[in-house]
Amino acid sequence: MFRTLLNKLSTVPSSCGFHTTACLNEVRLLTRLRVVDNSEIGKRAMAEGKPPKVICVYNKKGVGYIGDRVMVAIKGQKKKGILVGLKQTQKVKVPKFDSNNVVLIDDNGTPLGSRIHVPIPTILRTVLKERTHAKGADYTKLLAIATRFV
Amino acid sequence: MASFNLKNICISLSKLRIGHAVTRSHSNGPRYRPPYWFASKERVMTNDYLTQENKQFVEEVMKDKMKVQAELESPLANNGDQSIQQWAPTTRRVGVIARKIGNYPIWSKDGKKMLATLLQVVDNHVVKYIPPEEFKPMKTCKVNWREKRRLGCLLVGSETIDPSTVTKDYCGLFDSVGMLPKKHLCRFMVSPEAVLPTGTPLLATHFRAGDYLDIRAKTIDRGFQGVMKRWGFKGMPASHGVTKTHRRPGNIGAGGEKARVWPGTKMPGHMGNRWRTLRGVKILRINTKHNVLWTLGVAIPGETGAMCYLYDTILPLRKLKSSPPFPTHPPADDLPIEYYDESIHPYDNPTVTYEEA
Amino acid sequence: MALAIRRTSDILCAARWLIRRDCRVLSTLPEKAEISQEVVVRRPAGRRPIANEAVLESRHIYPEFLPDPNPDWRNSLREKLERADMLKRRSQIDIPEFYVGSILAVTISDPHAQTKTTRFVGICIERKGCGLRAEFTLRNVVDHQGVEVRYDLYDPTIQKIQVLRLEKRLDEKLLYLRDALPEYSTFPFDMDPEILPEGTPVPINPVQVKLKPRPWLEKWERQELKGVSNIEEHLKGKDRIRRELRKTPWEKYDLMKQYRKTIPIEDQSEIWAEVHNQLQQLQLSRKKMARKRTFTAPKPQLG
Repeated sequence: MFRTLLNKLSTVPSSCGFHTTACLNEVRLLTRLRVVDNSEIGKRAMAEGKPPKVICVYNKKGVGYIGDRVMVAIKGQKKKGILVGLKQTQKVKVPKFDSNNVVLIDDNGTPLGSRIHVPIPTILRTVLKERTHAKGADYTKLLAIATRFV
Repeated sequence: MASFNLKNICISLSKLRIGHAVTRSHSNGPRYRPPYWFASKERVMTNDYLTQENKQFVEEVMKDKMKVQAELESPLANNGDQSIQQWAPTTRRVGVIARKIGNYPIWSKDGKKMLATLLQVVDNHVVKYIPPEEFKPMKTCKVNWREKRRLGCLLVGSETIDPSTVTKDYCGLFDSVGMLPKKHLCRFMVSPEAVLPTGTPLLATHFRAGDYLDIRAKTIDRGFQGVMKRWGFKGMPASHGVTKTHRRPGNIGAGGEKARVWPGTKMPGHMGNRWRTLRGVKILRINTKHNVLWTLGVAIPGETGAMCYLYDTILPLRKLKSSPPFPTHPPADDLPIEYYDESIHPYDNPTVTYEEA
Repeated sequence: MALAIRRTSDILCAARWLIRRDCRVLSTLPEKAEISQEVVVRRPAGRRPIANEAVLESRHIYPEFLPDPNPDWRNSLREKLERADMLKRRSQIDIPEFYVGSILAVTISDPHAQTKTTRFVGICIERKGCGLRAEFTLRNVVDHQGVEVRYDLYDPTIQKIQVLRLEKRLDEKLLYLRDALPEYSTFPFDMDPEILPEGTPVPINPVQVKLKPRPWLEKWERQELKGVSNIEEHLKGKDRIRRELRKTPWEKYDLMKQYRKTIPIEDQSEIWAEVHNQLQQLQLSRKKMARKRTFTAPKPQLG
């Protein structure tokens, strides 16, 4: 009886019989990301099979959304990055990616690499323009190195 | 004779709690049993053992009456413009009774999706007006707030029903003004200028697209609920040695000097089925053919099919600024079928495009 | 004399009846069939069969016209208004017939893009929602990166929906493409639309995809998928045992469950009777447009 009830509640009946909802795939602390630019450190970390971990999300929610700045631990160093594609369910017309993508930047917002080799959501253009202030970091340089928008 | 009639009506009114001001805070919950003096609307149906012919006769009479009722002309139509008063920002108009019929999305002109709730104004008619001098609501034990202005009481009913299904008391209320009984009845406090004659139909065009409403309705009845559902408490952990207290409130008060539970402490109990008002709801679209209003948001209390009362909002920044249809919009045949707020993208307009900036 | 005539006619009648009866016995036709034939003949001008066909056809082509079967949310007036709005939107843009498994190209007006329009091509992996809430999801692999975009079917920012390849797959939802090898969901953005000859039924693509090794996003082995070929390779003994334990073979006999999940045929015929004519007209105009396009397309090549 209980088992059928569980089956009904969840599309993915789980084996342990407790969690009945699908995971949210949120970007939180210690989430592994995928570096999608051609920066040296990023390429080497991905090639070694040690993708970066989130150690700070710079917003009030603690969950990273598209265009949010995160600090990552990558090859024993601390680097900043911008989330450019998420795995979690998105709003209508916003693309959902198969992996959590990050582009590494320095403190001024200049990307470390010179090319992004995956598509980038167009909404990022608006989000990053909003985040950029006259005196602060300029994130729109990231848009210039993107190859394709979806 | 007339005064006798009036007295009768007043008595029946007071019995029906129409003139009774309900002021109830959240701390004293809904009454579960009606008070002893409450005159019920529904009649106990008994088997009358009518013959077939008599039954048919009764049905025929009923049909005729309904027909007469349906063909009644609106008193506003032939009255002309002579007695129409001017609207002022302080005047209070009558509201309408509507039914919540569901919600679906509606897009704005800049391509944003909004959820709209559909409210159908169902067969509203003004039943009766009680001028401020004669309107003496039943006294309640505590009066928190008294209206400084002298307001009259306008009774509005919706959905005509068969008189044989309701009690004699309830029927008498409508008989005295020559109408058939209505299923739902509501009291609206109106300024004496905004008075409407008996039998005036109220339509969806009483409001305009872009205006704001206050909506009063009963919330969904959820029965006896625990604190997690009723008040949004966090509960307690599922494991880590916690036993038998996963959804319980925990501590409800301090010991020592004040060793008691403070009044108003959030505890389990009956949830829902209370009157609540949602203020400042925008009207996005109006259909004049079916008398349907599209309102922004899905927070209107009650489930689909529930009745609600619509008033002009009292929020200071969203109040009516220009004169609305006053005292109400007269029924007209040459109206456009749909009215849209200027922010709404009608479905039969061409696709939204953005200009390059 | 008159009496005699009447009697003979009576006898004749009886004889005829008997003969007919005998014939029926001899022909071994079931009585039901004859009755149904009579019914068909009695009905005026075949009104009913058309309606029935429409029901059977349209509920697959336009599934979003059927309301949500939850009785708490149903209201005839709201459903009517909703359908009217859907038809209004359909009169503005051409929303073609497509299924889960078809390959679509969707062009939307996008305030964020530089050209203010975005085009996305992908395979439809899911279609859900009733009425104006209907939505569909497209999936594609772009630059070795899986991308999915969800669209509202009646969103006024959608400029064009083009079906590049009209076909069905073996399953109702293709969510397992997320765990399949990327070549099964890779489609070029400059794909040419494949036009089916008129009158052909929608082809069913019997391709069976190969899944990547585990971990998977969902427990695909428990969903009885037909479009996956190598699911057994990745299973261990305990997965098979648990799959057996979780099976619900009684659910196909659960009539109540079926009833709650579907709109009864009487309601459906009412709905289709209301919208069928307009949908038919829209379809005709679409066909006309398509024919025009095929005629006009070769011209620039000649010139």
